[in-house]
Amino acid sequence: MHLAISLNIAAKNGQDVLSFDQIVAFVRKMEAAGFDMVFISDSLASGEPSTSPFEATTLLAALATVTGSIGLVAGASTLAHQPYNLARRFASLDIISHGRVGWNATMRQNPREAAKFSQPEGFGDEDFRRRAEEYIGIVRGLWQGWEADALLFDKAGGRFHDPGRMHFLDHKGEFFSVRGPLNVARSPQDMPVLVMSSLSESQFDFAASFADVIVLDDVSPADAKSTGDDLRRLAATSGRRPSALKVLAASLTGPGLTTDSLDRWLTTPGFDGINFTLPADIPTTLDFTDRVLPELRRRGLTRSANAGATLREHLGLGMGGAE
Amino acid sequence: MSARQMKLGLFLWATGHHIAAWRHPDAYVRAGIDIDHYIKLAQTAEAAKFDMVFCEDAAGLREANVNIASQTSRSIGFEPISLLAALAAQTERIGLVSTASTSYNEPYGLARMFASLDNLSGGRAGWNLVTSASPIEAANFGATGLRPHADRYARAREFATVVASLWNRHAAGHTGESFSVRDPLDIPPSPQGTPVMVQAGASEDGKDLAARTADVVFSAAQTFGEAKAFYDDLKGRLVAYGRQPDDVKIMPGVAPIVAATKAEAQAKYDALQELIPDDVGVALLSSYLSISDLGRYPIDGPLPELPESEGMKSRQALVIEQARRDGLSIRELARYFAGARGHWRVVGTAEEIADELQARFEGGAADGFNVMPSWFPGELDAFVTLVMPELQRRGLFRKDYEGRTLREHLGLKRPI
Repeated sequence: MHLAISLNIAAKNGQDVLSFDQIVAFVRKMEAAGFDMVFISDSLASGEPSTSPFEATTLLAALATVTGSIGLVAGASTLAHQPYNLARRFASLDIISHGRVGWNATMRQNPREAAKFSQPEGFGDEDFRRRAEEYIGIVRGLWQGWEADALLFDKAGGRFHDPGRMHFLDHKGEFFSVRGPLNVARSPQDMPVLVMSSLSESQFDFAASFADVIVLDDVSPADAKSTGDDLRRLAATSGRRPSALKVLAASLTGPGLTTDSLDRWLTTPGFDGINFTLPADIPTTLDFTDRVLPELRRRGLTRSANAGATLREHLGLGMGGAE
Repeated sequence: MSARQMKLGLFLWATGHHIAAWRHPDAYVRAGIDIDHYIKLAQTAEAAKFDMVFCEDAAGLREANVNIASQTSRSIGFEPISLLAALAAQTERIGLVSTASTSYNEPYGLARMFASLDNLSGGRAGWNLVTSASPIEAANFGATGLRPHADRYARAREFATVVASLWNRHAAGHTGESFSVRDPLDIPPSPQGTPVMVQAGASEDGKDLAARTADVVFSAAQTFGEAKAFYDDLKGRLVAYGRQPDDVKIMPGVAPIVAATKAEAQAKYDALQELIPDDVGVALLSSYLSISDLGRYPIDGPLPELPESEGMKSRQALVIEQARRDGLSIRELARYFAGARGHWRVVGTAEEIADELQARFEGGAADGFNVMPSWFPGELDAFVTLVMPELQRRGLFRKDYEGRTLREHLGLKRPI
């Protein structure tokens, strides 16, 4: 059972937000409990005006230097970044964190976001879906532009890298054209972990083919099982090993998460782990560390250490380009 | 502290600023994939009381020819905003300045990123605005060609205006030629309010944009005369925008090579120059001149007549003037240029280098310097242990930080 915690650092206007030190303290507790990863998001999915002192990818970079083993996953929108910039940012974060980073690609359009980025009309659902799929393909392609052994560091011979092991992407698509390659070296985990969330059914096929982790939001344990089975079937159809895709079910915490509902989640088979979703306020984080964490510990679900060095190793995923 | 003191930035660049730095026996060759290397450099700079560290950037390869590129260390490195966010958590006082392009970002996203960096660092962030002159970058962003110089600057002006109003919480809603932004920024005001604005463009458009919006200007000048002319020109433009001369700090780049004796320093420099392959030197020069075929001309002959390009207009003029002035062949110019990329190279003892810096600082040609060590970490350590104590002895540089934020270090007003 994989354990993830999802921390949304955005607060509705006027509500208190967590300071950097408070976030660090919380993430370190999760790390000590052997959580596989923490998801950071920095805006409200509803698009309501919010405040957060930090943007998720920059916060992640800082967190990477003060944590040692926990996986760090940031939400970053396909509307807010050009694919080249986003691929670069996460490749860089993965090197900074020594291979602990993932990108959470939200597959649902935030209703107010496009209008912040010079797209006042936004995108229709179908356009948004096609654009997101093309975008993700570009990012994956850019992450594979440098072969793992491309860097030679040959001072005497004067050859820093092997130009034959650096590959242009030369992507020309409906929404983007991107030449590549990235100007960041290959990720320590081959590719940062690719997470997809907020999926609609029309995106299941795509997600099952390319995601390393799928987070199912707003589902009951029973629905999570049946959806997870569907996704695994689709993954197998696209030729992937069963272990190549992890399906996490999201569970809201806070006073609403009773011992009974926790048990219901933990005893339903069919998904690979739970993502506990927290708004970033002090009472909720305290409730989680003081009440929920001991329950998990009592059930033997926490660990004293993580399984491996990289997030892919924690999750039992193969190397990103290896399938 | 009453006497005016110089501002010093440390210009970070993986293995070092010299094109062949990575081949130097003492250069750390894995710099571009090792965050601990950068943390150590930033901590060294902070212990030495530098005002800031600065990261240059391009969203693409630096060199179109893959064979040439593979003989330099510049094709890979950290993305600078994530790098500086990581450094923010590992330092306490030093300013953190990153380059970001107005051609390949959106104002809302960029304003958000730097506000976040300012919050993470407790008010130490700065943004170096560039318009991006490279067609290699353009090809990574769906563009079929580089925008003309004037168009890039029109976009940059609008970009800077929108970013400033987002940071300053001015009335929401912008609809302009290049951008539209409906909502106000969703990040609370950062400690500096407005992260420090840096620019390095030296064209007419670039200087005007800097006079209008910049707090710090990085420049490249070989001679005292060039440095002074640029300084006077830029400061003279401020009045048109209702600003005072001291509102902008002009910090030319300097690439020092320091040793206990002049001969020793010269030997260090010569050894480094020997590591530059001819084709790499010529390619670097070509790319600065924004032409692709300098390799066709005899390497021991003079620089040919060149048409004005859409790329770096001002840099081009600087390089051509250098070649004509010194009667240099392509090879000689390429080597000379490759060493410091058009910046001012000073080779000597700590006293000699301090003399040179002092002369430009006191002669009204600089408010400080952007220090470009030839290789890391060796030449940074040499500058910190030899030159900086000399500057401090002369009262030209601080012995400790006076403030908390980068604006305070630089003695900048908070903009209205």
